[in-house]
Amino acid sequence: MNGVSQGTEQVAGQGVLVWVGRKAIDAYSYVADLGALVYVALRELARPSPQGRGEAFRVISRQILFTGVDALPVVSAIALMLGLIIITQAGTQLPKVGAGDLVGNIIVVVVIRELGPLLTAFIVVGRSGTAITTELGNMRVGQEVTALELIGISVTRFIVMPRLVGMILSMICLTLYFDTVAVLGGFVVAKVKLTVPFAAFAHAVTQSLSLTDVIVTAAKGMLFGTAVAAICCHHGLSVQSSYTEVPQQTTKAMINSVTICLLLDILVTGTAYF
Amino acid sequence: MDAAIEISGVSMELEGQDGLTDLTLTVEVGEFLALAGPNRSGKSLILKLCAGLVAPDGGTVRVLGQDLAALSEEELAGLRQRVGVVLHQPGLLSNMTVFNNVALPLRYHCGMEEEGLRSLVMAQLELFGLEALWNRFPAEINEGEARCAAIARALILGQELLLLHDPTEGLDAPMIQRLGQLRTRYRGTKPLTILATMRAYSPLMETADRVAFLRDGTIQAVGRQQELLAAADADMRGYLQ
Repeated sequence: MNGVSQGTEQVAGQGVLVWVGRKAIDAYSYVADLGALVYVALRELARPSPQGRGEAFRVISRQILFTGVDALPVVSAIALMLGLIIITQAGTQLPKVGAGDLVGNIIVVVVIRELGPLLTAFIVVGRSGTAITTELGNMRVGQEVTALELIGISVTRFIVMPRLVGMILSMICLTLYFDTVAVLGGFVVAKVKLTVPFAAFAHAVTQSLSLTDVIVTAAKGMLFGTAVAAICCHHGLSVQSSYTEVPQQTTKAMINSVTICLLLDILVTGTAYF
Repeated sequence: MDAAIEISGVSMELEGQDGLTDLTLTVEVGEFLALAGPNRSGKSLILKLCAGLVAPDGGTVRVLGQDLAALSEEELAGLRQRVGVVLHQPGLLSNMTVFNNVALPLRYHCGMEEEGLRSLVMAQLELFGLEALWNRFPAEINEGEARCAAIARALILGQELLLLHDPTEGLDAPMIQRLGQLRTRYRGTKPLTILATMRAYSPLMETADRVAFLRDGTIQAVGRQQELLAAADADMRGYLQ
């Protein structure tokens, strides 16, 4: 009996190992596919050929308009609310434990370094990332992508590269905008509750904020933009022949985008601040 | 006469789909060849082979003098500017108007100025009777109009070869007539070769120089429509008249 149960445990153990191994290989090939997509898109950006440049620029402009400019109201609202919450909590709770001097630090660490880039990424995933996957998925099913290839138009140059560039530029700007609105707007909104004057507040924040913080925040915006655009284009172009695949791929794109943004955030924070 | 398309000894097996067995076919420059036959007989596969969308298991496919298997991705993209293809779905970009769809290859490949482009595109739309629909989106036009717009886009760069999948599907009588006159209109400038699949008889078949009848992935007969009709069995006759 003992031998049988040991054998069963061994088989179960091997099954888990096989499962973990398969998942690791899947994850590796997924990341490799994304890397290849980013590489060919950036290579296309650097290619000197003037062919399709005007059209690609038009698509980049539209992507920036949709992802960046059109997102300003929702980004402003969320940044204001986050700023209000964090600044109110920090400004009212920290002085009670004699740590009022740390208000600036808390704001820089929580809002500028971490929540600003992450929340901006989540907003962009929800607004633009899902839109990209849905649009490209529908284009695949409607054979629009095949039609583009058949008229000699490079899908990478006309579809992927402009979305990647538009998303990266928008994400960097939106992240910096989010941080600014969250800190300044949040302070204005919370001023009624705070006893700290604006000059002291601004001094505390600028004292705690370094150039590294700004660079790391912008770098996060760039990395998150690259990841979200690559993931959403990859899933959109993975749709084969049925419209039911479109929402399935959109869901996968959204979950994977959020997960990879969090992993990248850990990686960047670990590299820059540990 | 030179060959626009040379398919020799092509075999292909696609799981659950139509296949081809040792197929050899030549389409001369300026010729209109209609591929007739039942569904899953291999007609669409021949179009996809010539468009470079699929590669054969064996044999060679030469289009406009170039062996497709030997072309790099960039060379294939270059060749595609000389070959117009309209598949089963017209593939018009849904977020662009009919005008912008037809103008897209000119903007992308030639970087043309908007003024010159406008007259060229409107002339092309007029050729297909679509000038009144220039500012409509694909969702606002019917199937036949979308197919005609796709053919107009496929020819806007002055392509030498046109590959069409069931070109008369959804077209009304004047549209079919216009399509039939296409080669005559182009003849003044340069020869246009057409390879089109037809799964049922259509008046367009009568304008073809030759008709190839396919069944089970092989060509059963090739010749003028009337010649094929004279020698056709009852099954084949159903596709030719």
